[in-house]
Amino acid sequence: MPFNLNFLARLLPELLEGAKVTVELALLTMAICLVWGLLVALAQSSKGPLSWLAGGYVQLVRNTPLLIQMYLVYFGFSMAGFGLSGFASGLLALCAQNGGYVAEIYRGGLQSISQRQYEAGLALGMRGWTLYTSVILPQVVARVIPPLTNQGITIIKDTAQVAAIAVMDIMKVSQIWVERSANTYDVFLGAALIYLGLTSITSLAGRLAERRLAFTQ
Amino acid sequence: MSAFNPLVSGFWYLLWGACMTILMASVAIVPSTLFGMVLALAQVFGGRALQAVVIAYLFLMRGIPLLVLLTFTYYLLPLTGIDLPPFWGVVLVLALYYAAFMAEVFRAGILSLPLAQWDAARSLGMNRSLMLRIVILPQALSLAAPPFVSLCANLVKATSLVSIVGLWELTMASREIVERTLAPFQIFLGAAAIYFCICYSLALYGRHLERNVLHGH
Repeated sequence: MPFNLNFLARLLPELLEGAKVTVELALLTMAICLVWGLLVALAQSSKGPLSWLAGGYVQLVRNTPLLIQMYLVYFGFSMAGFGLSGFASGLLALCAQNGGYVAEIYRGGLQSISQRQYEAGLALGMRGWTLYTSVILPQVVARVIPPLTNQGITIIKDTAQVAAIAVMDIMKVSQIWVERSANTYDVFLGAALIYLGLTSITSLAGRLAERRLAFTQ
Repeated sequence: MSAFNPLVSGFWYLLWGACMTILMASVAIVPSTLFGMVLALAQVFGGRALQAVVIAYLFLMRGIPLLVLLTFTYYLLPLTGIDLPPFWGVVLVLALYYAAFMAEVFRAGILSLPLAQWDAARSLGMNRSLMLRIVILPQALSLAAPPFVSLCANLVKATSLVSIVGLWELTMASREIVERTLAPFQIFLGAAAIYFCICYSLALYGRHLERNVLHGH
């Protein structure tokens, strides 16, 4: 029978335990990708073999499924002799894939700044650091926050795939509960509501960051 | 290269799985595009109530992981008494999920047209359906074509998730071979390479379309 309160009372603590793992994975992935993506984007805009390498990396991770990347790390690495836990494999694959997307976001943001902005800054006598921190970056930040927020939402949803490599996140916990109890509606409702909560918080945080950090034009 | 023997012997099996992946993705893309278009038109031209319904739908689809939707459809469909073969079940979920993202793409295409286009059409005395058919939609669709293609590549990658609910396609095929040969690294690498070929050719086509759009305006 759906919406059984007794059942929900027993289910919810375990789902929240799973949510802790999901949040941990998502936050770590977001933090690492913000830095890693920037490094890749900078490498891509440089000249020489580094830029080729970064470009190839972005195309590779963006054009293969996350699930295959997770299997490759989780099962493949253990065969090769350095096995990682499910959590570490999931984190590595999540960062690899989303880092590629984040790099593209940064690159798009940098490219969208017209050459004239640089020239105007130079004409005002600004150089290097000042030019970047007071003219270029404020505009880049304004442009990358909305797509970065979307990527954050994607990351939260992507974490559900770690259930396939035996990590006890929301998804795995709810799979176990559905199989154990056959109370599908309640479990679905619980899991979906938690995910909706997490993604809503992310999009709110993005909007807040936009208001706080973005230089309005 | 004896280490890659399992991949060589399983190659045709993987390729057969890839055919299933392509079939599943192509079948899902059609209804997803049509529904996405309806959602976009409803959001741009619909009344308040219709807009609210569309926004609620987009909120749900964008906030819940695809894997959650797939898993619970797998458990729920038999309970609801709808007798749908698993293939059509997952195609339905993929189509409904991606329609939300298609809607965003089409809406952005429609809204990015200059207002002068609307004014010009109206001043020629066109009614709304004629205006849409011969002025707005053709231009909006060509603007939306590049992101649409990259969304299709995402859909191809997303079909890997159906292996978790037990459907047979490229990811499932590679898992089967891994269970037989215990060579996860080689086999998943091979599967990744096949996915890459499919998605990267879509990405290249998208870039080609983008160049056409840039030159067309």
